[in-house]
Amino acid sequence: MDARLPLNSPQMDTEQPAQTARVWDLPLRLFHWVMAAVVVVAGVTGFLAPEWWLGLHVIAGYALATLLSFRLVWGFVGTRYSRFGSFPLALGGLYEHLRSIVRTNPKTVIGHNPAGAWMIIILLVALVTLVVSGLIALGGQENHGPLAAATGFLAGEMAGEIHQIAAWGLAAAVAVHLLGVFAETRIFRHPVVAAMMIGRKAPPGSAVNVPRSAHTVRGAAWFMAIAGALLVSGITLAGLPSSGWRALDTPAVYVSECGDCHAVYHPSLRTGEAWRSMMNGLENHYGEDASLDEQTVSIIQAYLVDNHAGTFDTEAAQRIGRVETPSLRMTDVAYWKSRHQGIAESVFRLNSVGSKVNCTACHTDAASGRFDDVKIHLPEKDKP
Amino acid sequence: MSFFAIARLLIVAAVAGGSAWSANGPANAAMMQDNIERYRVEAKALGQGFEAFSAERGRILFSSSPAAGKPDTPSCTACHTTDPAGVGQTRAGKEIAPMALSRTPDRYIDVKKIEKWFRRNCNSVLGRECTPLEKGDFLTFMASQ
Ligand code: HEC
Ligand code: HEC
Ligand code: HEC
Repeated sequence: MDARLPLNSPQMDTEQPAQTARVWDLPLRLFHWVMAAVVVVAGVTGFLAPEWWLGLHVIAGYALATLLSFRLVWGFVGTRYSRFGSFPLALGGLYEHLRSIVRTNPKTVIGHNPAGAWMIIILLVALVTLVVSGLIALGGQENHGPLAAATGFLAGEMAGEIHQIAAWGLAAAVAVHLLGVFAETRIFRHPVVAAMMIGRKAPPGSAVNVPRSAHTVRGAAWFMAIAGALLVSGITLAGLPSSGWRALDTPAVYVSECGDCHAVYHPSLRTGEAWRSMMNGLENHYGEDASLDEQTVSIIQAYLVDNHAGTFDTEAAQRIGRVETPSLRMTDVAYWKSRHQGIAESVFRLNSVGSKVNCTACHTDAASGRFDDVKIHLPEKDKP
Repeated sequence: MSFFAIARLLIVAAVAGGSAWSANGPANAAMMQDNIERYRVEAKALGQGFEAFSAERGRILFSSSPAAGKPDTPSCTACHTTDPAGVGQTRAGKEIAPMALSRTPDRYIDVKKIEKWFRRNCNSVLGRECTPLEKGDFLTFMASQ
């Protein structure tokens, strides 16, 4: 349906006073508020929650990806004031608008005012950056999500840095946005919040009503199509084998012989050289005799050396496994220490943990070598 | 008790249940006796005037601190706790099921396992291998617990 109906058209909604016009279509308003809620969830889980809340953060990210894709498309096919083409982005107009704010008499604008339009562009750019960098970080660092097959750890780590910067950028932009809204409603008495809820604004001059139900149906159809396409492609991509991690065929003797005294360590946690030295010194293994017969030693050593840290591209392999230590310990690697320095000594002494080398007590996926954030379970106290 | 220990217990119980024995203990005890018997043969072969195994000497081996092995493992009780019926812990924090046969009936059955741990643990605590006499005394003590 055509969005450009004249103000006095007979199709205009007659119950409403003629001074207000429907400006924001329902799909746009729903997008705005749902996105605001999702950004709060993503912000709280990203900035404040511990790492094992990553699952919820990622769900918020997928929701944002869908919402943003819809918004970008709606910016071209939506109703008049939703379209990017209608945004007053000319710098001259922005300058005029800012001057009128300084002189404290900005005009009511139908659609976005120039400052608001620029704000939205900045917010959208920050959000798109966050979603894209987040997906790359998830694929590279955690070997999860649709980009797990395509991204390595180092790319993921770089994307993680960008993600953090963009998050602070978004936080700043949201603060400016809220300030702007506050100024509009409180100082200049333009009810912009109400407008974003009911969709109506009192236009200064001629404005056009955007039509009501047809665009809602159209918006819903676009949204379903976009969400469906993202879901199908996302699931397909996520099904591809991850680039940095693979499942291993672990020999039973490794689990039975090396799991008697402590957790069974994944081969990707040490270099081939370190495994070789360790297997050659089992008679004096950290103050104990852990010796094995020669045949068992050679089976275990072959398994460990074949799957050493260099053959995995996970965070654990890159940051811990590939780093040599004189003691051959993982727990002497600086990165290991820095990641665990916040954990009280008393936690390591719990009966359910026993020692810092008992990785499985807190990392329920330690045996697989993944060390996913969402698989961290920090015991608080022992079961009675 | 670990899942595997329970599972093994159930299997052994099922096997033993078919026989005249009322529980699995006696079936295991028989297998353990075979192992003690093996150490008796070895001890006799050494020809150092072997007479019989002693649970009391086994108890002393279990609880003494000879200060001859590795510093982190002064005695068997460092890992197995002073109470043979108690749950022990490795230095890396993993639980060890009680050593007393009455508490962990599937112990002392597998020759390779017993030999592996005697080799390691005696080396760690005593700084040398255990003699057949010591091994037989130790098993005799644990069988009585
Ligand atoms: C007899 C008991 C025992 C056995 C069997 C054993 N270990 Fe250990 N291991 C230890 C102890 C004790 C430590 C040090 C624990 C601590 O510091 O809390 C250790 C530490 C380690 C570490 C270093 C952990 C760290 O601090 O980063 C690695 C790696 C390791 N063991 C690998 C192996 C492998 C591989 C095998 C099998 C060939 C094996 N262990 C078998 C007792 C054992
Ligand atoms: C007492 C519990 C506990 C034990 C034991 C433990 N960890 Fe951790 N580990 C944690 C916690 C909690 C974090 C998250 C720390 C943070 O907030 O950054 C973590 C983080 C990590 C990370 C980074 C994961 C990521 O994606 O951020 C790696 C890798 C890791 N641990 C490896 C190990 C290894 C290897 C061992 C065994 C040698 C081990 N951990 C033992 C609790 C533990
Ligand atoms: C450093 C810790 C440690 C010390 C010290 C230690 N053990 Fe053990 N022992 C273990 C572990 C771990 C096992 C294997 C776990 C299991 O069988 O439940 C084991 C198993 C055994 C077994 C095999 C039991 C079976 O089921 O077949 C025997 C026998 C044994 N130990 C004897 C001794 C003797 C004798 C000493 C002292 C000379 C001793 N241990 C000292 C940790 C230790």
